[in-house]
Amino acid sequence: MYGGGNIFEATKFDDLTTEDPVKLAEFEARIARGEKIEPNDWMPELYRKQLIRMIEQHAHSEIIGALPEGTWITRAPGFRRKMAQMAKVQDEVGHAQLLYSAAETLGKSREAMLTDLINGKSKYSNVFNYPALTWADSNTISWLIDAGAIVNQMANAKGSYGPYCRALDRICAEEAFHLKYGHDAVVHLATGTPKQREMIQAALNRWWPPIMTFFGPSDKMSTHTETLVRWKVKMATNDECRQQFLDMYVPKIWELGLTVPDPKLHKNADGVWEYTEPDWVEFKEVINGNGPCNKERLAVRRSAEENGAWVRRALLSPKAKYVKPLA
Amino acid sequence: MSLQSLDPRVNRLHLPENPSEPVAKTELDQLETYEVFHQKKENAAYTYVGPVHAPNEEVAFLFGKEQYSRRFACTGMWVAETRHVMVTPYTDEAVSVYDVIRINQENAMENGEKTAEAYEIFHLKKRGKAHAHVGTVTATSYEGALAEAKKQFGEMKPVVNVWVIKAADVFRSEADDKDIWNTTKDKMYREATAYRVMDKITKFKEEQAAK
Repeated sequence: MYGGGNIFEATKFDDLTTEDPVKLAEFEARIARGEKIEPNDWMPELYRKQLIRMIEQHAHSEIIGALPEGTWITRAPGFRRKMAQMAKVQDEVGHAQLLYSAAETLGKSREAMLTDLINGKSKYSNVFNYPALTWADSNTISWLIDAGAIVNQMANAKGSYGPYCRALDRICAEEAFHLKYGHDAVVHLATGTPKQREMIQAALNRWWPPIMTFFGPSDKMSTHTETLVRWKVKMATNDECRQQFLDMYVPKIWELGLTVPDPKLHKNADGVWEYTEPDWVEFKEVINGNGPCNKERLAVRRSAEENGAWVRRALLSPKAKYVKPLA
Repeated sequence: MSLQSLDPRVNRLHLPENPSEPVAKTELDQLETYEVFHQKKENAAYTYVGPVHAPNEEVAFLFGKEQYSRRFACTGMWVAETRHVMVTPYTDEAVSVYDVIRINQENAMENGEKTAEAYEIFHLKKRGKAHAHVGTVTATSYEGALAEAKKQFGEMKPVVNVWVIKAADVFRSEADDKDIWNTTKDKMYREATAYRVMDKITKFKEEQAAK
């Protein structure tokens, strides 16, 4: 799964006039030819910074995203569901490992990324600041948040940075199981008893507003965004991803006789989905730390780090020397 | 007051509601990096899958197995410390790296004092793809190994990047242990094919239509 909706803000590196024009031209020509960038290649600071930020946030989303679903492992109905839920959560944590390594190749250490997660400096997907109140909520996450993530990841896998593409290819392959697993769990409830149907509808009602914010607000089309599109860092606009998600999944929700809690939601004759604009004020509030679960997510992550510290210290060899991963 | 959660496991941790500023992690808190190569099926070339952080090669092997063979077919695995991998420059895709690297003949020359040993050679054919093992050469240094690799594999094209690792620095799975790569049948729940969702939806729709 993945926190979509990258908001690429302008940075002090936006000014490309400080970059070597010859190297910049070579770099841009390589991307234009469809060749990937590898870690040791020359790259503009803006490219490096934005990629670190994007891949790091993606990695954080994977480990934090494991928490709301992890909550339900011990209470999943039946042994088989416990095993499947555990396998899915284990995959997500594995995805974080792949992504942290990809970001490390750009020069930010894993230690620095984990510190920035815990102290709140770097973000993760906002949807995980909402609680999974019931088993049906967990199923809704497994199906629809993962579905949104796949839309995003499939687009990003065509990006220009080699290590990120390699990680995403592997992640996308694993997501096939998550999507089927989540869909199956939702279908099980939706085609079950009236009580089960009621549960899944209530979960869908709770999760629809966060899901609609998943891809982030509409992109501001600035020169900054244009640069990142040209460099194949940003592969699709947030609105394009949202439209694709609605197109693929709203019909699948409707065919189960479930409703989407948005009276405005419909597909226009021209194929574009209309919807109530998500509450971006609440989105900002939550992203800035005031959501229902922000505190808990970071506290749990932090306690995991602190409680495991003695093991890592005990294992550390005095001969160890840090070298960033190769690719 | 400790932090209250709907998850009983979190409540049992008694986490403080207002924690202090976290301490920045020190370098190597997440340990050294190792590069992992897997073999997809018997007799296939070992291919790069990615790095892991680990305190030693045995643990790196276990982490590599968890990370890279858990969800994909695998018949063997190699791991090597990142710092033991000698990396050539990366070239444009139209150019072979063997045509641009300058090998210092003096360093590469057979040196009577040093004993020759085996080096593993890996090629990257296309940027964004993964390095694959092409063969083993014998030399007295990394540079000598690269010169030898140019002789033996220089005609293979395209090659945008080469990795050279001393064979002795590669930790390998044992042929006798190949049972460890088998996935038991009772783990089908983690395969997409185990979920027959369409059957359930079709049945549901038929029932709805009959009502």
